[in-house]
Amino acid sequence: MLMLIMSSFAKREYAISGFLTVGLIAIALTYLTNYSIPMKFFLPGMLFLFAFVVGPILYTVAMSGFQYSTGNYISKPDAISRIIATGIRPDANQTTFDIIVGEDSSKNLEILASDPTNKVYFLSTATTKTDLDPTVLAVDENGDATKAPGFHPLTPDQQNAVDQKITDTRFAYSSTYFITIEGSNVASLKSQTLMYNSSTDTFTNVQTGAIYKDNGVGDYANVANKVELLQPGWRAPIWFSNYTKLFTDPQIRKPLVKVFIWTMVFASLTVLTQFALGLLVAMIMNRKLFGRRIYRSIFILPYAMPSIMSILIWGGMFDTEFGAINHLFGTHVHWFQNGMYARAAVIIVNLWLGFPYFYLICSGALQAIPAELSEAAAIDGATNRQIFRKITMPLLLQVVSPLLVASFAFNFNNFNIIYLLTGGGPSNTLGGDVAGSTDILISYTYKIAFGAGTQNLGLASAISVVIFVIIASISLYGIRRSKVLESFK
Amino acid sequence: MKKFLKEDLWRHAIALVICFFVLFPIYLVFLSALSPSGSLQVTSFIPKAISLRNFHMLFSSPLIPYLTWMKNSIVIAGIVAILSVVIGAASAFAFSRLRFKGKKQGLQLLLLVQMFPAILSLSAVYVIMERVYSFAPRIGLGTQPGLLLVYMGGAMGVNIWLLKGFVDSIPLELDEAARVDGASAVQTYWLIFVPLAAPVLAVVSLLSFIGTFNEFILARLFLVDMHARTVAVGLQGFISGQYVSNWGPFAAGSIIASIPLVAIFLSLQKYIISGLTAGSVKG
Repeated sequence: MLMLIMSSFAKREYAISGFLTVGLIAIALTYLTNYSIPMKFFLPGMLFLFAFVVGPILYTVAMSGFQYSTGNYISKPDAISRIIATGIRPDANQTTFDIIVGEDSSKNLEILASDPTNKVYFLSTATTKTDLDPTVLAVDENGDATKAPGFHPLTPDQQNAVDQKITDTRFAYSSTYFITIEGSNVASLKSQTLMYNSSTDTFTNVQTGAIYKDNGVGDYANVANKVELLQPGWRAPIWFSNYTKLFTDPQIRKPLVKVFIWTMVFASLTVLTQFALGLLVAMIMNRKLFGRRIYRSIFILPYAMPSIMSILIWGGMFDTEFGAINHLFGTHVHWFQNGMYARAAVIIVNLWLGFPYFYLICSGALQAIPAELSEAAAIDGATNRQIFRKITMPLLLQVVSPLLVASFAFNFNNFNIIYLLTGGGPSNTLGGDVAGSTDILISYTYKIAFGAGTQNLGLASAISVVIFVIIASISLYGIRRSKVLESFK
Repeated sequence: MKKFLKEDLWRHAIALVICFFVLFPIYLVFLSALSPSGSLQVTSFIPKAISLRNFHMLFSSPLIPYLTWMKNSIVIAGIVAILSVVIGAASAFAFSRLRFKGKKQGLQLLLLVQMFPAILSLSAVYVIMERVYSFAPRIGLGTQPGLLLVYMGGAMGVNIWLLKGFVDSIPLELDEAARVDGASAVQTYWLIFVPLAAPVLAVVSLLSFIGTFNEFILARLFLVDMHARTVAVGLQGFISGQYVSNWGPFAAGSIIASIPLVAIFLSLQKYIISGLTAGSVKG
């Protein structure tokens, strides 16, 4: 661990090395002294929790305050140096040189450049250019210089080792021009078009005279034309803009509202159908029935199988051309191309996956209800329906309702089923929609953060935080009702 | 007999319909695993020919390191199951039995972090592990130990919470008696709590095992190398492409991967159910 701290510090990962240091000190203090007995029990758990759960959550919350998206991934100094590096153009004649890459006598990177047509030969490092006298040089059949005093060529292997450095170096030529390497033996003359002025924090295009200023949201924008931005931008703090965008920008708000409604519908329908079928099965099985054990084993199969595999198999079954469902019913339904059918498919598959859970819960709860209650009611003349509505259900709900809330919260974030079954589709991608008909909040957010098009981690993080608040309120409500928190008081 | 018709017949009827619903996809998996063409394309629900070609392929093809995947899955899920419960149980014990400052806040924090959509801190986990990789290539991004560490962190919250519920149900008199006899907190933990909670610990680690075995998104993000993959990631690779013909090996692989889980589940269902009612939802 000490070694990890040192190597992380060496790589300038101060946050990580800081965390490791604090962790190490905590471990030493806890286990070498008797300062705190409870710490001895939960320190390892806490360390894991902070490193891989709390840490990433805080990081996500922090990201939600930044302009953090495709084109704005790097820090501002990096962005500035990237703009400087790419803001160059070749000279008017597109001059090129034949070159050999090597080192000078003090091991600095150096090129031996030749322009045989104009008989110009020189050595150049990042700082100095030394003209050579063409009359005394050794040249090959193309007229290129092959060696020069104090110049040591690099072998191809040596060149590969410093490849990045070679392409990044700007070799000296004149006060406005420099040389960059284009290929293995070719270099060209370039000049800087975008000049950075660090005192005003602006870029100036020397060719057009346009001035680019920091627009406050992570880009240099043309002062005269605000939508013209220099690439790349950087991740700039924009505080709550990502959140206000959720409510004010119609392009974001409209799909978000649609997705939110479907998420609520999906989670409630899932819980309702799973619970209803689970309860039905539990009630059917709640008496001595021939083959009960076999039935029971069959009914919990969907729960026991790895869910990823079941979801993928269902995905294959809903295939329009070859799928078993269409074959079984003799239909030709385009399950995953039509929004409503796709939604129905998601609910059906989730019902298959989840009803055994409620079956197990309900059958346990039903057995716990004393038989005397319903017997007494029956003697008093209550019908079966009355017994069910007035006695069984209320008692059952008392046990099951916190689990219904938990299941709602779980399905609210049930990423796997959406991602693996429909991928959130169908969606009108040609129309520019990111959100598909079956996308729930979490899969939609995943698409925003890691999708194929423009990725916007800042916005996705903001949505995550909102989801978190929603889920937390639902769960807190459920927990308060089930009084789990009583032990806190 | 009349009572049977009236009371039981409709029950059997409904049960059989549900059985059909449950077994239909499972039957299809077997059908395509055993079909020589190896597709999920159904022309008939009764197999015309049976072949073990798909199973054979999993174990003989050098391109499909199925046994390695299985081994990876079992090793990763096994280590997570054991370690996370060992660490989690100690924390749960502390939260349930010991008095200390910040206990309430700790429990609330524990509850709160579980409500954060884990998928969405994915990018943060990714960035962190990428940085770890830069100085410690053996435990960073793309490695099994790295994945293991992340799983451990993820399992911690649920396990502590679940185990705390069980510890709460152990009668307080037992520890008090132990304390009167002069046992320290550490002794109470090892001599009273661990033996009493052993079955419960087994169930929670089993649930952890199943949860980890099923995990897909993180594993796919982390394990790029063919031989490092888990079985879920590996099998998904068969059908994520456009090749319908790969359903056969996928189905065969799924069956083999499911057997241990289903066997554990069916044989230990009584214990697992008690764990479920304590409030865990399988992912």
